[in-house]
Amino acid sequence: VAMGPEPLADADTRPFWEAVAEQRLTVQRCGSCDRWIWQPRPLCPACHAPDPAWHDVTGEGHVVSWTVIHPPVLRAWAKDVPFAVLLVELVEGVRMVGRLDADDDFEQLAIGQPVTLRWRREGPTILPAWTTSGR
Amino acid sequence: VRHAVVAGVAALPYAKDIGMTERRAGALAILAALADAGLTAADVDGFVRSVWERTTEMEMARVLGVDNLRYFGAVDYGGGAGAPMVAQAAMAVEHGVADVVVVWRARNRGSGGRPWAAQLLAEGQDQFERPHGLVRPVDGMAIFARHWMHRYGWSREDLGRVAVLQRAHAQGNPAALMRDRPMTMDDYLGARMIADPLCLFDCCLETDGALALVLTTADRAAGLGASHDPVHISGYAWGSGSETYAMTSFYGSDLGTTPAKAVADELWRRTGLTAGDIDVAQLYDGFTPQVLVQLHEYGFCDEGQGPAYLGSDGAVGVNTSGGGLSEAYVHGFNLLVEGVRQVRGDAPNPVPDVRHCLVTSGNVVPTGAVVFSREPQ
Repeated sequence: VAMGPEPLADADTRPFWEAVAEQRLTVQRCGSCDRWIWQPRPLCPACHAPDPAWHDVTGEGHVVSWTVIHPPVLRAWAKDVPFAVLLVELVEGVRMVGRLDADDDFEQLAIGQPVTLRWRREGPTILPAWTTSGR
Repeated sequence: VRHAVVAGVAALPYAKDIGMTERRAGALAILAALADAGLTAADVDGFVRSVWERTTEMEMARVLGVDNLRYFGAVDYGGGAGAPMVAQAAMAVEHGVADVVVVWRARNRGSGGRPWAAQLLAEGQDQFERPHGLVRPVDGMAIFARHWMHRYGWSREDLGRVAVLQRAHAQGNPAALMRDRPMTMDDYLGARMIADPLCLFDCCLETDGALALVLTTADRAAGLGASHDPVHISGYAWGSGSETYAMTSFYGSDLGTTPAKAVADELWRRTGLTAGDIDVAQLYDGFTPQVLVQLHEYGFCDEGQGPAYLGSDGAVGVNTSGGGLSEAYVHGFNLLVEGVRQVRGDAPNPVPDVRHCLVTSGNVVPTGAVVFSREPQ
């Protein structure tokens, strides 16, 4: 079975993927200066406090931009095309990449549209995805 | 004071399949550029390589029988590397670290397969992007493209202007891969989508190509007896911007402003020039929207006015060889060679009386730019 690219976690990113495996979306926030941090990193880039703590978030946000992917694609995704990949801004202010739920209509997407979190399975991997359909 | 010049350039004929290794193609391009300069491999004492070049500078030195490199170095970030490589070579020459520094790029991207198709482990920044589907360079670009189109009111026709303009330039360039393939706006709009809103003709070509530039001092070049004048390097700058990722700088506070803005500020500050002094521009064109954004980031027009600027009477010539979209795509090295030739006057579509040519590298990665000039600044 053809597989998509598999996330390769390291010590600085593993808490994110461990949470995702439990269907929790978690984002770092600096305990010293309260800044939300994405992508994950070992220090707060603003105040350099080590090991910013992970906080579970709802995944609610809005669409900042998106693309609809057409062939040629990886063999694993030949069954998926065309599909939309979103850039979402969470209510906490960080932006993340993830797919639009396959049941949603990408023709109806609009910048600024509210989205909520869904979970998507890709082979053995669980990944965050988003839907415009509300809950 | 040692002034750096480009004494020679060369490009092997571009092809979908060049029929030789990148090592061999690179060596042949370097020898041709040395001959263009009136130099030989025995004169070379420095190399600057792309980090993405599979032939190391040591291997190239062995292939060409070059003894003792007094300078060697490499620059990262794919299409962002070209102008910074020239700049690094210029610094080595200006500081007297080396006298004849070669910059080259050989890439079998036409025949050698698509790198993204083989990358099935997503490490570092990739782990948060690739598993979702942003795998090809065009995919991240398309996220930016929609953002810019929304922010500036650009239509697909506005992106298409870039593609159609450059395709027209290619018709006058015997070396351009698309020289016998004219394209109308209808052709553009009818092309299949690759990563919506970007279609096939928003994307650069997939090319095998090998190019080289030879840098030395103005004094050294003056005595070489080449058939053309050396081209002066009157300025260069690097820039990374903040919160920068390769192709996917989606997460910082200033979404949509590329590292080219920082490069432009630095370049104009260092040279005392402005976009108004530039007679012809080679703006990195992996994808059409990059050209439109650079037009305002380098100060040719107000923010978002790139499409109107391109159609205006006062617009400078942009990507006059056909560029990455219609001549060849070798990480922007053909733009560097074209820039040198425009200043020398031996470009295929010569712009009259060029004093300064701006050449930029990829603007959604850490990048740089260089100004090639007829006279020293």
